[in-house]
Amino acid sequence: MTGVPADTAPSRRRLHWLDGLWPWLCAASVALSLLMLGALLTLLLVRGLGHFWPATLEEVTLRSGETFAGQAVREVALPQQPGDERLYFTGNRDIESVRWRWVAIDDIAMQAQPMDLIRLERSPWDDFIGRLVAIEQHDQRWEGDAAWQQLTSLLALPVSQRPDSQLLLITASGQAVQQPLANVVSAQAPNAMTWRQKTLAWSQSVWRFLSEGPRAANTGGGVWPAIFGTVLMVILMSVIVTPFGVLAAIYLNEIAHQGRLTRFVRIGVRNLAGVPSIVYGVFGLGVFVYGIGGSLDEWFFSETLPSPTFGTGGLLWASLTLALLTLPVVIVATEEGLARIPEAQREGAVALGATRLEMLTRIVLPMAAPAMLTGMILAIARAAGEVAPLMLVGVAKLAPQMPVDGEFPYLHLERKFMHLGYHLFDTAFHGDDVQAAIPLVYATALLLVLIVLVLNLTAIFLRHYLRRQRGSEC
Amino acid sequence: MDITSDTHSQHISRQFNQELEELKTHLMAMGGLVEKQVQDAVFALLEGDTRLAEQVRDNDRQVNALQLQIDDECTRVLARRQPAASDLRLVLAVIRATSDLERIGDEASKIARNALLLSESTSTIRGLVEVRHISEHVRKMLRDALTAFARFDTDLAMQVVREDELVDDEYSSAMRSLMTFMMEDSRSITSVLSIMWVLRALERVGDHADNLAEYVVYLVKGLDIRHSDPDNLDPQGLKKP
Amino acid sequence: MLAPLHSVNTSQPPVTHFPPEHCCLSIDHLSLAYAGKEALRDLTLSIPRHRVTAFIGPSGCGKSTLLRAINRLHDLNEAVSHSGQIVLEGQDIHGPQVNVTELRRRVGMVFQTPNPFPMSIYENVAFGLRLQQRLPKRKRDDIIEWALTSAALWDEVKDRLHRSAWQLSGGQQQRLVIARTLAVKPDVLLLDEPASALDPISTLKIEELIRNLKSELTLVLVTHNMQQAARVSDYTAFLHQGELIEYGPTDQLFTNPRLQRTENYITGRVT
Repeated sequence: MTGVPADTAPSRRRLHWLDGLWPWLCAASVALSLLMLGALLTLLLVRGLGHFWPATLEEVTLRSGETFAGQAVREVALPQQPGDERLYFTGNRDIESVRWRWVAIDDIAMQAQPMDLIRLERSPWDDFIGRLVAIEQHDQRWEGDAAWQQLTSLLALPVSQRPDSQLLLITASGQAVQQPLANVVSAQAPNAMTWRQKTLAWSQSVWRFLSEGPRAANTGGGVWPAIFGTVLMVILMSVIVTPFGVLAAIYLNEIAHQGRLTRFVRIGVRNLAGVPSIVYGVFGLGVFVYGIGGSLDEWFFSETLPSPTFGTGGLLWASLTLALLTLPVVIVATEEGLARIPEAQREGAVALGATRLEMLTRIVLPMAAPAMLTGMILAIARAAGEVAPLMLVGVAKLAPQMPVDGEFPYLHLERKFMHLGYHLFDTAFHGDDVQAAIPLVYATALLLVLIVLVLNLTAIFLRHYLRRQRGSEC
Repeated sequence: MDITSDTHSQHISRQFNQELEELKTHLMAMGGLVEKQVQDAVFALLEGDTRLAEQVRDNDRQVNALQLQIDDECTRVLARRQPAASDLRLVLAVIRATSDLERIGDEASKIARNALLLSESTSTIRGLVEVRHISEHVRKMLRDALTAFARFDTDLAMQVVREDELVDDEYSSAMRSLMTFMMEDSRSITSVLSIMWVLRALERVGDHADNLAEYVVYLVKGLDIRHSDPDNLDPQGLKKP
Repeated sequence: MLAPLHSVNTSQPPVTHFPPEHCCLSIDHLSLAYAGKEALRDLTLSIPRHRVTAFIGPSGCGKSTLLRAINRLHDLNEAVSHSGQIVLEGQDIHGPQVNVTELRRRVGMVFQTPNPFPMSIYENVAFGLRLQQRLPKRKRDDIIEWALTSAALWDEVKDRLHRSAWQLSGGQQQRLVIARTLAVKPDVLLLDEPASALDPISTLKIEELIRNLKSELTLVLVTHNMQQAARVSDYTAFLHQGELIEYGPTDQLFTNPRLQRTENYITGRVT
């Protein structure tokens, strides 16, 4: 910097006011997105998993003298007067015909958390909240603590080995009830539980949620059929869409003459990805279900007509519809992967005397494999979350049979199946008791996110493995 | 392919043009100095000018310094530019030409030393006529060779090559007559021997001028005509486009 | 110093010819067009066996196009049309009985950027062999060692034959590509600016390799580095705008070219 006069050395150039700000703007938008994502996950985690935590039961005595027991859910301000009111889940629908109770806090005379309050999960009917008086089994009878111990030991047995017993129960308001053991799914005395017991009970509930079928019109019980249906449908969809998409991409990129028509097709494919998914549902319904399915029924299953076999929504048609929906994604991703392979690689192979097919199979496809997997990942992510078209082509509120069972041919492509996304929708809006379903909605949503995550991670891991295999350790 | 005197100023790199131009300029400067040395040495001898003779003897250092400088420049161009074709021939021709010019410088100082020796002799000096005659001839050759170099003129260069044979003939006949002088007058042997050395030096200058002319042909046409009979040279080879 | 094989033609353009017994490849009135745009115009030259022939010329002069035509790589592009003949060892390479993959085995090609395949070093060299026939592993190993040795790479990679080829340096990659080509025993090796992406030392190694290989096969080198052409080639052809301007022994072309255009190009003058 010799020869620069001293007085011109400091820059006279004024910074535009945005210059200092814009990195902060960018960072802020990233932070906001992360925050929203975090909030979503936190909400799902807390509300979804919190549902399974054994909640404290309260025994409430009102100023009017009435007594009831329940689980405090939330509080809201009373309309048009000071004070709050509290919502209690009281259960006992068979006895009191309501499960929820709003109580103004000012009306509460006394509230306590007695250790002997228990909560029974029952099927049919739902939770009972009250006290256990005795257990009668044939001519034996247990009372008090012995009854509770007997109940837990009975419930530890597998359902088929449980003896015929009667539970004598009493609600907080003093009404006595008889309850056959066969209807009891689980029993808790949450107020008496230690942290460890609560954690154990929590994990058992979570496991039951994951492994059992739904109960009480999807407002209770587990979601296992929905998980299974979702995963099976996505896997089937991937198996269908990947070869199709890859072949189409190879044709477009490697074989077709690169002219106006190819460009037109390419634009068309890209735009297909933007078509609303319900439109695919309509297409699937019209072409797959009624068209192809109807014809199949006429040719092969005419003896069962008019009840349709393939002529109604089913696993196969749903997978095909979603495959169609995700085909553009796979084509575009694969094509981009193919286009990224340097021309020098192809020429190198051809110059060594490889035919076009040899060049494709030995050089181009292995190199494009990570891109194909990327396409598959995107397809899975899209398919696992798609609900709208499935409602038209095969998803069921409650499927009577699983699509895979021990009966030949083991995989039943024509059967209707359950899907987490649809289950979520159904639980949230179509149950008879929306209040009870809300925690389940959160739990199901969390599960859906987790499943998409697991499917994606599997594909990402596979892609990473392929890349590494190619890149360093051949 | 023939080249012309401005061939070397058409490179995309102006720096390269300049370097080659400097080579030529410096070579011409050296040529001018050497030409003047020969002229002064012969003048000192013929006129008995001892001061001029001493000056010529001392100036030889300048000639040597110029040779070193130009050779150094040539080395630099070779190392840094890796010249090809006509550029390569120019550099090679310049390197060879400086060596010949330096030798001409040596011959000039040899003449000057003999002029100093002769200036001490008391008797009349025989053979000065031959010296004058041959020196004029040789100086013209040298001048023509340098001009041919400056103008990239192969015709002129070929003229110099042919001239050299005449000089060689004149030199032989001059030597014969000087031998006669020595036989006639044994007292003159010392001075005649000096004159013979001078003539020998002048003949060598002619040979070097001939070399310079040959380099011009190499430079312009890419043909190496050294060690070949100028009369047998294919005129087409020299006239070829 | 190799004995000269050629006879000099003093007509225009100045083109060197070889008697048939020394001629490996002869190109006869070859014209080539990309989508109607002429890239090579009426090119005639012959390439001597077991010598290095260099094509030089400014970018877009058609030297790479000519090289690719000899390998029939233009077959991949429908927009290319040609007329004239390329004759390899007496056989027209576009002839009906010529199998193009067999031709490409006989005429190896090495490209500007090293393009090893995403496989191990061993598999790269074995690639061409596997396309030809099934060989017993022992024999294949021998050929691979021979090819890598010929490409002056064996000592550097013999301990890591099963590592990825992409871990090699650029110069090693290029020598690997040459080894890969040598493994199928070609008659001609085409090199399209093989060292332009390499550092000077790697470049010298490639050049040394080229010089050593000419006892085995005929080499054709495209380069825009004139010093490189001068260093390694025996004959040099100067192409400009799709035309052959001058073709002759490298020594002559670089000391005393016959045409002003050649002179201007090799000495860096404005044309």
